[in-house]
Amino acid sequence: MPKQEVTIHDSSLVSVPAGWEEKIAHFLLTRSPLGSLVRWVAGIKASVHAKLLASFLLVTALFMGMGVMSLQTITKMASQGQLLDEVHERVHWSQEIQHALALQMNFTAMALLLKNDSTVEHILRENNRFNNTLARLEKAAQPEEVQLIQRIRVAQQEALTTVADIANLVRDGRVDDAMRLQLSKEYPLSLQIEGLVNQLVQREREKMGQLRASVAAANKNTLVLMASSAAVLILLALLLGFVTSWSFILPVQEAHGFLGEVAKGNFAATINVPNRDEFGALADRMNQMSQELQRLYDSQHRNSQELQRLNDQLQQASKAKSNFLANMSHELRTPMNAILGFVEMALDEIYGEVPSHLKEPLTDIQTNGKHLLRLINDVLDLSKIEAGRMELVLAEYSVQDVVETVRSSLQSLALEKGLGFVAAAEDDIPLAFGDGRRIAQCLTNLVGNAVKFSKRGRVAVWVEQQGDNLVYRVSDTGIGIPKEELENIFAEFQQVDTAITREYSGTGLGLNITKKFVEMHGGRIWVESELGQGSTFSFSIPLRMNHGGVA
Amino acid sequence: MSGKTVLYVEDNEFNLKMVRQLLARTSYRLIEATDGELGVATALKEVPDLILMDIQLPKMSGLDATRRLRADPKTATVPIIVITSFALSGDDEKAKDAGATAYMAKPYSPRELLQMIRKLLPEQ
Repeated sequence: MPKQEVTIHDSSLVSVPAGWEEKIAHFLLTRSPLGSLVRWVAGIKASVHAKLLASFLLVTALFMGMGVMSLQTITKMASQGQLLDEVHERVHWSQEIQHALALQMNFTAMALLLKNDSTVEHILRENNRFNNTLARLEKAAQPEEVQLIQRIRVAQQEALTTVADIANLVRDGRVDDAMRLQLSKEYPLSLQIEGLVNQLVQREREKMGQLRASVAAANKNTLVLMASSAAVLILLALLLGFVTSWSFILPVQEAHGFLGEVAKGNFAATINVPNRDEFGALADRMNQMSQELQRLYDSQHRNSQELQRLNDQLQQASKAKSNFLANMSHELRTPMNAILGFVEMALDEIYGEVPSHLKEPLTDIQTNGKHLLRLINDVLDLSKIEAGRMELVLAEYSVQDVVETVRSSLQSLALEKGLGFVAAAEDDIPLAFGDGRRIAQCLTNLVGNAVKFSKRGRVAVWVEQQGDNLVYRVSDTGIGIPKEELENIFAEFQQVDTAITREYSGTGLGLNITKKFVEMHGGRIWVESELGQGSTFSFSIPLRMNHGGVA
Repeated sequence: MSGKTVLYVEDNEFNLKMVRQLLARTSYRLIEATDGELGVATALKEVPDLILMDIQLPKMSGLDATRRLRADPKTATVPIIVITSFALSGDDEKAKDAGATAYMAKPYSPRELLQMIRKLLPEQ
């Protein structure tokens, strides 16, 4: 795999956005200063817990500030209401003064009309009411009104004095004088007082109007201020939430992309986040992980290359071994050819008549030479099988021919040992398909063993067709095989009890080779035996092998 | 006695000697070559009546030599017996493919070899 450096830069912090919210977030992060703010927050050296706590506390503090502001506003509005009430009260009092004045005038006129002073009591009472109210008003009055009030009081004092004079005149029966005084002095005074009181009422009314307007304006301002500060606070809270959450989301997205790269096998990928919190630590760990993975990958890659190299070497060695075997096979056969050839020619008396005492040693040379050749063939066959270079030569063959080959090569040996020998096949077996020569070799091996391990009795070969299979059977009356040895009998270089077999000699290759050839034909081999009674070796192979070979 | 000529291409001196002795009592005239190239050269020069070709030879393999001889009109129809190795399955096929008339597995019986020669090239 080509090494590929993938570093995800800050500018491409956000992976491909999916939903519209993410699109907005992506836009804000890349096109506004929010991106650098987010990176700044990420870069703060504090734990995620501390950052979250801080941002929640900040939002809480902002809303608490808003609460304090509202409380202040409510208090201010309450005090303004009180002021308004006061002004209202003053207006009320001024009206009461007007009323008292009017009554005072009225009672004075009544005294004149009734020509007695019984109404003076009423006048005094109204005068008291007037004075009391005026005093209350003066107490609550603004400095500019105090002057007006004092002017009213002075006029009232004068009016009262005049009323007292009028009352005296009435009591003295000088009603005309009283009337004159009333008209000339008391009436203008009353008018003056009325004018002043009206002025006062007017002023208080104006003040009330002003106050009302200012309260309305203040209320409107407060509303605007509250609304805008609430909006600002909400925006601030949102901003805080956005910045805080994205300072966590970005490294997670980054990690997502990074892990995707790693999962794809790009161990050279690195993750780069500005965070100096748990996410930063996590990113550091991830980088360590990918480095370690890269290191493992590299070392594994090197190892596999080394293995590949070793495998190539092994294959070359194996090929060399096979070539060596092929050469050796020929090299061994060449002298064997000469040995067996010369002996045969001598026995065929090509060199002249063979003296009778030399016939036996020549025959012995021939027998042992042939035996040696068989051993050489076995070793070479097995080597080829082990190297996986043994190939069957598939063709049609006659089972009768196979049996005949075995009979011709081993019957004489059996008869020489004084053994009975029977070899036959079912009559109607059709032509078989396989490697006839190898099958003959297998059967020869089994029969050879049977003859070798039997001292008396007989060796029998029987071939029959069972469905699509051919079953070859070789039974003997030999030494038999112990039960515990039956499993191992076909294993490589395995021979039953070395002490027994030493007497019979052999390499132990024959059964193994036979098993391999049978299996190459897609068949199986088995043995039934009883110690001292003899053995029956059987193998079953398909009558006709598939051309494509057998599993 | 102008017998028919048999060329034996073989590098092993004992095998050569054996066939020489085998054919000594027959009317066949034996000529010899000890490697593949020499075998081809001798065959083209002498044009024998039959060729015994060992499969494994120095300089040029018996199969290559057989192919060369089959490609040349002078020796295209001369019977060639290729001596193969029994253990190497497929040698027989290769020998046939190369143009061998017959093949004989090594080690061969001199008796059988002589029978085969007589069959392919009667002595008269």
